[in-house]
Amino acid sequence: MIIITAMSLPFLSKKPIDLPPIVSVELIQITDQTNIPFAPKAKKIIEKIKEKEKKLTTEQAPPKIVKKVKPDAVPLPDEKIDKIKKIKDKKQNPEKIDNKVKQVSEFEKDDLFDPNNIAALIDKSKVESAETKNKTDKVTQNQEKNADFTRLTLSEEDALKAQIFGCWSIPLGLPYDEDLLVRIKLQLKPDGSIIRSEILDHARMNKPGQGFYKVLAESALRAIKLCQPLRVPSTGYERWKDLQLNFDASEMLKG
Amino acid sequence: MNLSNVLKNGFLIIVASLVLTACATQKKASTGQMQGDVYTGTDTVEYLASGVPDRVFFATNETVLTTASRETLRKQATWLRKNSSINVVLEGHADERGTREYNLALGERRANSAKDYLMTYGISSDRISVLSYGKERPVDSGSNPLAWSKNRRSVTVKAN
Amino acid sequence: MLLLFLLPSKSFALIEVDITRGNLSPLPIAVSPLAIDEKSKENFNRILTKENIGSEISIVVENNLKKSGLFNPLNKDAFLQKPEIANLKPRFEDWNLIKAQALVTGKVTFVDEKLRVEFRLWDVLAGKEMMALAFTTTPSNWRRVGHIITDKVYERLTGEKGYFDTRIIYVAEEGLKTKRIKKLAIMDQDGFNNKFLTLGNELVLTPRFNPTNQMVTYLSYFRNLPRVYLLDIETGMQEVVGDFPGMTFAPRFSPDGKKIIMSFAEDGNSDIYTMDLENRIVERITNHPSIDTSPSYSPDGKYICFNSDRGGYQQIYVMKSSGKNVKRISFGNGLYGTPVWSPRGDLIAFTKLHKGKFYIGVMRTDGSGERLLTENFYQEAPSWSPNGRVLIFYRETKTNSKGEGFSAKLWSIDLTGYNERLVETETDASDPSWSSLLSN
Repeated sequence: MIIITAMSLPFLSKKPIDLPPIVSVELIQITDQTNIPFAPKAKKIIEKIKEKEKKLTTEQAPPKIVKKVKPDAVPLPDEKIDKIKKIKDKKQNPEKIDNKVKQVSEFEKDDLFDPNNIAALIDKSKVESAETKNKTDKVTQNQEKNADFTRLTLSEEDALKAQIFGCWSIPLGLPYDEDLLVRIKLQLKPDGSIIRSEILDHARMNKPGQGFYKVLAESALRAIKLCQPLRVPSTGYERWKDLQLNFDASEMLKG
Repeated sequence: MNLSNVLKNGFLIIVASLVLTACATQKKASTGQMQGDVYTGTDTVEYLASGVPDRVFFATNETVLTTASRETLRKQATWLRKNSSINVVLEGHADERGTREYNLALGERRANSAKDYLMTYGISSDRISVLSYGKERPVDSGSNPLAWSKNRRSVTVKAN
Repeated sequence: MLLLFLLPSKSFALIEVDITRGNLSPLPIAVSPLAIDEKSKENFNRILTKENIGSEISIVVENNLKKSGLFNPLNKDAFLQKPEIANLKPRFEDWNLIKAQALVTGKVTFVDEKLRVEFRLWDVLAGKEMMALAFTTTPSNWRRVGHIITDKVYERLTGEKGYFDTRIIYVAEEGLKTKRIKKLAIMDQDGFNNKFLTLGNELVLTPRFNPTNQMVTYLSYFRNLPRVYLLDIETGMQEVVGDFPGMTFAPRFSPDGKKIIMSFAEDGNSDIYTMDLENRIVERITNHPSIDTSPSYSPDGKYICFNSDRGGYQQIYVMKSSGKNVKRISFGNGLYGTPVWSPRGDLIAFTKLHKGKFYIGVMRTDGSGERLLTENFYQEAPSWSPNGRVLIFYRETKTNSKGEGFSAKLWSIDLTGYNERLVETETDASDPSWSSLLSN
């Protein structure tokens, strides 16, 4: 074995290479690490989807015209108190998995649920069918008798889907071959604004190795916020006041 | 030993020329300077001595010596026998249409083809060293088939 | 009505709507300049001659995010909130107004001659903090601070590790195509802090980092003997790898950094060998009369992919690291070279030559699922980003009829085939090799 130093090799610069030392990083929060392969997407397929995307967005009606926001109806939680609490929580604690879980649930309950408000807001004037008439009599107590439609009509569903498609920024680089379905349960006001949103298996968000799930869940929540008020049908509030959205990006990512 | 070598080489030459004529009938020679895609011109050729060309050319991705290459190498062998104090380096090259690492191996192969041939003509392997440049040292910087054919080569260079 | 009573269970069913479409455009993100107090500003200006190091760092972050192709950093002119206030408590309505979905704020201070940075990532729509981090370093490391912030933001928002606090080692090129001068060079992933490691007296090729980024193995033509070398980039110490009687080339480190795998050409025939860097034991891995080169280990070290023409033409093969079970994996039309195993282990990147065009592509490790990402006159030698999302490679231009107009440049492309970008270098460049993450 020949060992040659920098001085004896004419092709090496004499100056020792001055590379900065590794930065010392004090991590305040530890993030999960995963090794899941992400979705490969063929160029053409994406382009095709993008084409479809364009069509979709152009088909969309501007949401604001449809809905009137009733400001007095929006329950406002005491945001300031919430914030201060959060900042305190953030005090540099590297092991805060418990805290994180707490935070998530806090986040979901951002807006407080007020049943009285809902009852007051039901738009009775437009209830026409026999089934829903039945509902209006007993408003909240007797739900089991009321709901019979387990679906929205196709056009209703399409309108809602089209709206959310436009709001949802799919996190690029997610794996497509993972079980990445985020189910969000919403409680809605008649105007389509959100009273409450809940990720159905939100515990998964903070499990190690579920970084992609968390990213997808957060993007779904952002989409809902951005779309608010949702483009809901103008009738049949009882039918859709609880609504579940299933976010699944695999089709888009796979192409 | 020598006799068997001569016989063997004679046989190889016959086979090679058969192959070449077969090739030539299939592929059209693109210019007057190429046969198949092997360079046959003299633009870049230098001479070790009068009448002793310094280089041989190869077909794309090939390391087989052509008839013309063998003729050149026999002249080099004769010259080397006459000048027994001279050592040579065979520099093998590839064109730019290949990946760098593979081309290094290809250049090495080409130079070794030439070396083996010189050795069969009695030149001691002690007098021949081999150096592959892959695609690093083209003689023609063009990006066209003629330029590439000039660059697919093994060049015999005096080492002392 | 009758139906209703017959199917009472249905009444509990929740309406479900499947959302399977969305936007594939980059996420709008606002990177607020990092707040800085006057005194710290003066101190950093004195040390680094940067008027406002807070904005400089945020520009590093912004450029990184933009180049990733996954984010759309919004124009700072539209920002309504001052950095110092935004960092304390962002007015989410303001950031929402400019359509930001995420927000990065932060603060720089000068503490004990050091640079202290804290930064926060906010979810604008949810109105909540997603991450808060702080670190201190020597002021001269300020660009790396920007890269580390980007890595953290990237990881939090995409779910995968970043690749910004990394370096590229490459071959800097100058001069005529026929007499190219080549030097080893190293730079930050974004092209800054470029340094030449050799002077250009000798031809140097194919540098590759070891897993800890302190060593580089490469091919040098020192004294006209093409051999694989090992260079310690911190000490400048240099040595020839092994004592081979002929050309050694195409070197790479094993994933544990303990071995170098390379080709050795013996009597014109190139086979694959390894050398253990601790005990100097040389092991022959392939023994075949064809050309075997461009070896690359799988990340678990169990397999090797390599390039061989044993089937007549250049193709990609995979074998166990012992050299057993050699299997051809490339079966498409054309020639295949430079296989490189991805850091995730699931893909092999390669160069393909078909009908006079060069492609960079990827395939699964069994050869299935081949995807070509980019086509050009000449390009080769992909190298993976440490997270396996981006490939960097080099591309050469076609010269004109007079042989003029040659250039070699580095390019990067996402695994999606999107986001192809020129990687700016001071000189012409080739043979890039991406380091692993320097920190974290």
